[in-house]
Amino acid sequence: MRAQFRLRIRLILVCLLLVAFLILTRLYFVQIIQGDEYAAKADRQFASSSSGLFDRGSIYFTRKDGTLISAATLATGFLVAINPQTLTDPEGAYTTITAAASSTLMRDAFMTAASKKSQVYIEVAHHLSESAGKELAAKKIPGVQVLRERWRTYPGGVLAAQTVGIVSYGSGDSLAGRSGLEAQYESTLARSSDALYKNFFAQLFSSAGNVLVDAKNVREGDIITTIEPEVETRLVEDLAKVTAKYSSKESGGIIMDPRTGAIYALATNPTYDANDFSNTKSGLFKNPLVSNVYEFGSIMKPLTMAVGLATGSITPESTYKDTGCIQIDTRTICNYDLKARGVIPMQEILSQSLNVGVSWITAQVGTEQFRTYFTKLFGEKTGIDLPAEGSPLLRNLQSPRQVEYANMSFGQGISVTPIQMIRALGALANGGAMVRPHTVSAVQLDSGVVRPIDWSGTTPVFSPEVAREVSTMLTSVGDHSIAGGAHRIPTTSFAAKTGTAQLVNPAGGYYKDRYFHSFFGYFPSYNPRFIILLYTNDPQGVQYASETLTSTFVDLTHFLIDYYQIPPDRGVPTAQSASPTTL
Amino acid sequence: MPKRYSRTALVLALSPRTFLLWLAAALFVAYLALIAVVMSYAALTVEFAQSVRSDEATVAILEREYLSEVSAITSANYALVGYAKPVAVLFVPGAPGTALR
Repeated sequence: MRAQFRLRIRLILVCLLLVAFLILTRLYFVQIIQGDEYAAKADRQFASSSSGLFDRGSIYFTRKDGTLISAATLATGFLVAINPQTLTDPEGAYTTITAAASSTLMRDAFMTAASKKSQVYIEVAHHLSESAGKELAAKKIPGVQVLRERWRTYPGGVLAAQTVGIVSYGSGDSLAGRSGLEAQYESTLARSSDALYKNFFAQLFSSAGNVLVDAKNVREGDIITTIEPEVETRLVEDLAKVTAKYSSKESGGIIMDPRTGAIYALATNPTYDANDFSNTKSGLFKNPLVSNVYEFGSIMKPLTMAVGLATGSITPESTYKDTGCIQIDTRTICNYDLKARGVIPMQEILSQSLNVGVSWITAQVGTEQFRTYFTKLFGEKTGIDLPAEGSPLLRNLQSPRQVEYANMSFGQGISVTPIQMIRALGALANGGAMVRPHTVSAVQLDSGVVRPIDWSGTTPVFSPEVAREVSTMLTSVGDHSIAGGAHRIPTTSFAAKTGTAQLVNPAGGYYKDRYFHSFFGYFPSYNPRFIILLYTNDPQGVQYASETLTSTFVDLTHFLIDYYQIPPDRGVPTAQSASPTTL
Repeated sequence: MPKRYSRTALVLALSPRTFLLWLAAALFVAYLALIAVVMSYAALTVEFAQSVRSDEATVAILEREYLSEVSAITSANYALVGYAKPVAVLFVPGAPGTALR
């Protein structure tokens, strides 16, 4: 009897094991072999994606204390849609909706929509606030639906608008980043349409394989930029003043850490409000700092000086005879004031911004070495993490004519983007090595992991000694030459140089009375924390950059010293010797 | 004196049909519980996700106010609010610099 019972139990166990094995085999086929097919089927049958609710990662500014401030995020609210077939009182509905919606709702358009009796769903108002949406929904107007909505919002409005970029519909029917960081980091910011399912039960089984390793978890996240909102605001305001004061075609500026390439601020004027760009000219979406090339003029001279020193063609003690004008090939190159200076040292070339002087240096360097150094400085794109970086125009570096090299030595006949220019000039502030300019420091993944981006690679161009020699010269320019030394800061050294270039005439040659003004500087001179590049294109009623951009540069310098509490690097007086500086 | 059986013996004493019926009933209850848990999880997830989004939107409004305040301060004309430009600036000794020449 007992043996028979055991036999039965064993038989049942065998049966159970057999059934379990069959189920496992079936599960293997269903989930592994035919998993994708069933997942797709489950999607179609049970899971309706939540693509109706827009979702996207955020872009953050980073304050100096590390606090993240949204540059681009999502706003939530409601949209209003009508069902013309069930809308019984269009006039009353229009009045009620108009009272709730902050955006203007045209009466004619609403009535036209309401008359389309063949349709059941027409959206008539967007971006209602939480309170307005809930209030309207509570009225339960027949034929009116109040549905939740999310949309992209830019808390800063015009702040770094061209850098942050926009999200809009392109040729397809999906919202995507179209410019700036929104486009550059689209794969990180975009959210998969299957991110949220209405049927979680279906999701649980159809996406079981994703529980352990989900590819989008290592891709999707938020973007953390290096842009400091208060510095950016200051730059935006200052550039707006320059553009307005001189009726310039455009003005722009970049503030960067020359040691790392982290960009604290970059702005252009005119710009646009990222929250309302419907009437913005398409050209404004392009970032001129990255895409446009300009002839920068005399801010190129420090680089020519550095090339002269690096090749051993000159020393800081070298002298030359300045005749005011020189003949090269068939062309005459003159100083800005046509005046001769006689025998003068190298410092004076930068202090007085002498075209003849840098042309002389270029002749000493020779075309071959000049080409080698300028190709190293500008021959390739910076690789900045912004779309549509422009290519420099370096055709003249292949010219056999000496005059072209002389022109390039003072920044004419060579066109580069502002970001390429600040990268090259940054070598003087960074011991002779060019850094990789960038606007994004890290990606914050949805999993919470912050993944820093490595921008550490540098390109050595000059030796640290050469960079220091040129910094000394440029510091002298800042202390004594710019506005006659009126802006000298007793406790902080700064290296600076102005540039005034004639604008290219499309008909040929250059305009005699239209200019491109530029200004660059870095401070403290021998251990720089910031490098600033400013420009204003075609300012009216003024000839030299020293008149248009000096006060802006000085204002930004003082602001940054105060804001970042940059310690003094020179001339800290004793209490007894301190004397007031008259403004 | 009644004979005492262990728990294992009682289970083994059940007929296979009864045992399987109990097992099926237990599994069915567990299945229903699982559905209940998953549905509750789904509802809470949707609710929390919306709550997070709403909070983020509220923060965005605060950030907009902060940035507009920064802009207002930056563009403020101090002369208009009664401040005068100092006639002289005195640079006084401070903490030693970290990058002295």
